Amino acid sequence: MTTGAWLCLFAPLLGAVLILLGGTRIPRVVAGWISTTSVFVAFAGALWSFFALRAASGHIGRISSAWTWVQAGNFKVGLSVLVDPLSTMMMLIVAGVGGLIVLYSIGYMDGDDEERRYFAYISFFVFSMLLLVEGGNLLLLLVGWGLVGLSSYLLIGFWHDRPSAVAAAKKAFVMNAIGDATMALAFFVLIAHSHSLEFGASFATAGQLSPTAVNLVALGLLGGAAAKSAQIPLHTWLPDAMEGPTPVSALIHAATMVTAGVYLIARTHPIFEQARTVELVAAGMGTLTLVVAGLIALVQTDIKRVIAYSTMSQIGYMFLGAGVGAYANGMFHLMTHAFFKALLFMTAGVVIHALAGEQDIRKMRGIGALMPWTRWAFLAGALALVGVPPFSGFFSKDSIIAAALHDHWYGVVMAIAALFGAFLTGLYTFRLYFIVFPGEPSAFVREHHHAHHGKEGPLTMLVPVGILAVLAVIGGWIQLSPFWHPLTTWLEPAARTLGVAVPTNTQEAIASVAAVLLGLAGIGVAYGLYGTDRLVVPKLPAVQRALEHKLYFDEAYDALFYRPAAAFATWVRRDFEEPVILATGPDLGEGTLELGEGVRRLQTGLLRTYVLFLGTGVAIVGVVFMAVR
Amino acid sequence: MLGPGVAWYLGVAAFLFGTGALGVIVRRNPIIVLLSLEIMLNGGNLALIAVARHAGNGAGQIFALAVMAVAASEVCVGLGLVVAINRKRLDLDIDKLSELRG
Repeated sequence: MTTGAWLCLFAPLLGAVLILLGGTRIPRVVAGWISTTSVFVAFAGALWSFFALRAASGHIGRISSAWTWVQAGNFKVGLSVLVDPLSTMMMLIVAGVGGLIVLYSIGYMDGDDEERRYFAYISFFVFSMLLLVEGGNLLLLLVGWGLVGLSSYLLIGFWHDRPSAVAAAKKAFVMNAIGDATMALAFFVLIAHSHSLEFGASFATAGQLSPTAVNLVALGLLGGAAAKSAQIPLHTWLPDAMEGPTPVSALIHAATMVTAGVYLIARTHPIFEQARTVELVAAGMGTLTLVVAGLIALVQTDIKRVIAYSTMSQIGYMFLGAGVGAYANGMFHLMTHAFFKALLFMTAGVVIHALAGEQDIRKMRGIGALMPWTRWAFLAGALALVGVPPFSGFFSKDSIIAAALHDHWYGVVMAIAALFGAFLTGLYTFRLYFIVFPGEPSAFVREHHHAHHGKEGPLTMLVPVGILAVLAVIGGWIQLSPFWHPLTTWLEPAARTLGVAVPTNTQEAIASVAAVLLGLAGIGVAYGLYGTDRLVVPKLPAVQRALEHKLYFDEAYDALFYRPAAAFATWVRRDFEEPVILATGPDLGEGTLELGEGVRRLQTGLLRTYVLFLGTGVAIVGVVFMAVR
Repeated sequence: MLGPGVAWYLGVAAFLFGTGALGVIVRRNPIIVLLSLEIMLNGGNLALIAVARHAGNGAGQIFALAVMAVAASEVCVGLGLVVAINRKRLDLDIDKLSELRG
């Protein structure tokens, strides 16, 4: 069972190393296939672990340690992998969806100057994420966490000759570093109290910690989760991360990276349950994000940014689910979201690819007539995202809303906000659909569209899109609470759903019906506004401006952090560096030169004087030693 | 134990060492300087052996053997230098080899 996990972990790393060592000796296409194969081998390893774990009785999980990695006193951390229901589920999603995305990249990146570098990075990205989910202790989890940040930085800034891409990469890295730091602080508190970062030992001691300590630990973990999963207030990097190549956006948004926060909450839920307030803060944070991101998505005009905000919004749902204690529901939505969000990004990528890099939706009108298959695939993804039955999003999203409904009055508030979010989801998703796909092709589209050998794209792009379209439709059928819930049962040993988060049948029904109706209402409004001209977009210039500026988060951070820091740096330069350091520098140099002139005389070049100095020195040292004794 | 005490041996060793050191400092002929160095080393050897015998421990004698090996190699290098100086038709006077003056 653990052999599969080790295979799964190291296959992508091996792929990255091979491409790195091969360099220009291997052709570009081969680099792509090495990368794809390595990730699919990882998927095979994940399947192996999954079936072995299923065959094992009770499937509680097992830790396999290769060697002791860090040892300091009685603190010891091994290089180990953990195979349990939660980690195998993540392994399957990461390696499976990741493999399809890497396959898709072969077509998408065809002809780029630095394909080899791209494929080395992307394999490394998958490896980092697998290390994050498989790591057998919190330290390895943090290592994977940091590596995911690093590889996302490398990939977002892949087109390093674009200043905007470099800036976006830097932003993502800094935002993630904040999260990494709070997580590291949480781990220090844990080490101080439990002398261990093993999952079992740390969770066992969580119950004995003082409320302050356990709240601090949970807050630190939440900070890390919020940064990685782009939840308010650490979300601003995610829309900018669209500067990377489209498959990277798909990878970041679907299989890796942003889902890490949800995984972290599910993984460390014993700590969060001891700090229930913090857990509810996570749920509230998710609720706020899902509404705000949905609103901002309404006015974006870049096809990838709309989908990016929808990711933020959907991760908000997952945080809500995990925060109220319905970990399995959060993970379920993570899985279906991985399917349909990867699908949406890939179809958007097909369109962008066919239009030679154009991303503005206002210019794309009518592209559906030229690309019917892409249109249907996008429609499947969009319906899954809105949560229309029987598409996958319906099963996972509604169960989260129902779970929230059960948790006291604030749960009801959050559920109502989530229902409003469902309406927004329908609205912004189908605004995108109705603007881009139906109707007569616009002049821009007619001029710039170029078919790929008479097809909508290369086969390496269309095959993954097809597979994901099927998964986006049927992926949710594995669970229909309350009648049929194999996933919850499967995850129970690793992350048992809290009692307060188990809704009654009535609540399930209310949540489902309300969410579906609101989602359909959103689609209807979008149709009225953008599909026909029957409705007119209300003119609210102030609101629109605020939303187009993404509610001024960037501006606020600029004023709060960047400007004071820059002002301080200017002050230090003017009042300290220039008068003190720059002024004393030359003096120091001249003094040294003069000293050297004086000392020069000692070098006579005569052997006898050197002997004399040596002898005198020895004599003095001898006398000093004797005197001291 | 027969013979004079260890202090005598050390006295002779110190005398040899001092003579050698004086030779190194005051003489200008490189061959004489090398000879004086040998005398210094032998002074050291004598002290080592005397103390080794006094302490009943063989380690000092081993040291002396090592010093002899070093002395032999040092003479090789030193005489090589002397030959090289001679080949260049330079004076055999170490005070004239002072090109490293600062």
